[in-house]
Amino acid sequence: MEPSASAHHAGDAASPGQPETPDVHHKIGQLTRQLHDALHELGYAERLQGTAGELPDAKSRLSYIARLTGEAAEKVLNRVDQAKSQHDHIAAQTKHMIALLVADPVAAVAKGHIMNFLTDLEKANGEVDQHLTEIMMAQDFHDLTGQVIARVVNLATVIEDQLVELLIQTAPPEAQARVSAPASAAAPLGVDDVVLSGPVVNPATSGDVVTSQSQVDDLLASLGF
Amino acid sequence: MANPRFLVVDDFSTMRRIVRNLLKESGYAEADEAEDGVVALQKLRASTFDFVVSDINMPNMNGFQLLAEIKKDEKLKHIPVLMVTAEARKEDIVLAAQQGAAGYIVKPFTKATLEEKVNHILKKAGLV
Repeated sequence: MEPSASAHHAGDAASPGQPETPDVHHKIGQLTRQLHDALHELGYAERLQGTAGELPDAKSRLSYIARLTGEAAEKVLNRVDQAKSQHDHIAAQTKHMIALLVADPVAAVAKGHIMNFLTDLEKANGEVDQHLTEIMMAQDFHDLTGQVIARVVNLATVIEDQLVELLIQTAPPEAQARVSAPASAAAPLGVDDVVLSGPVVNPATSGDVVTSQSQVDDLLASLGF
Repeated sequence: MANPRFLVVDDFSTMRRIVRNLLKESGYAEADEAEDGVVALQKLRASTFDFVVSDINMPNMNGFQLLAEIKKDEKLKHIPVLMVTAEARKEDIVLAAQQGAAGYIVKPFTKATLEEKVNHILKKAGLV
């Protein structure tokens, strides 16, 4: 690394309209040199190398969690689909049996206990269907936690890249020369991309966010919706 | 219109499935799905849909970009787009409204909320 040269180069590149700040650049150069020396003296270069090396493992573990929770959610949805299908059949048959009994008042009176059972069953069918819907809805955790995990993995990637860059900068010149320029990062999304923040993990510390659907509706209503 | 056709756009298959199942339970069985805005646009241009339910945070083309593409396409701009997303910032909700979204639901949501918004938008658009 050539901190002083970099600092001078940065100073040279100042645009004509901007005031020259050689002192600041010189100071940054000195600080960079001190950081470089301190990292070596304290042995942090090796530690940084270890930390950078552990990040892919951490990302891999997070991806594993995301994959397994996704598979678990899919299994639950498959079972709910099967249960709903079978339950629809039971509900339809219950209605049919009640209709048959009601069509024959003598039988309905004579078999009152069966009529009562079928009426109770019909009521329970409705509740079971609601429970199944709630179980299905609860699987949305996969989407929400998956988005949070994806953000953490992206953050780990950024930190890893920065650590590797720092390691390269603090490496001896001959080692730096062996390191080829890093491959350019994946092409960024279009210029009209909005920086999205994903699910709100902690509403109290998340700035200007809504915390309920009624707040969304109120906001849209204030906009004329 | 008796059976409006829906396109459900979300990068998570679990959520696409949940939304499709909820629509089916609400009486709207005609639905297809797409995993991002690019695939959604292809399907919208290749077939006929009456309603789009879209996530925002997706790879390749996010929900805002999809909404913008739909609204600037003469053949698609009449299709109501309901955003269903975990993005809860007020600025995102305002942006969606300004871009022409027909509604905005924040995840996690309930069956009742989805049903209410879909029915309201369909009525407003004269689709039921």
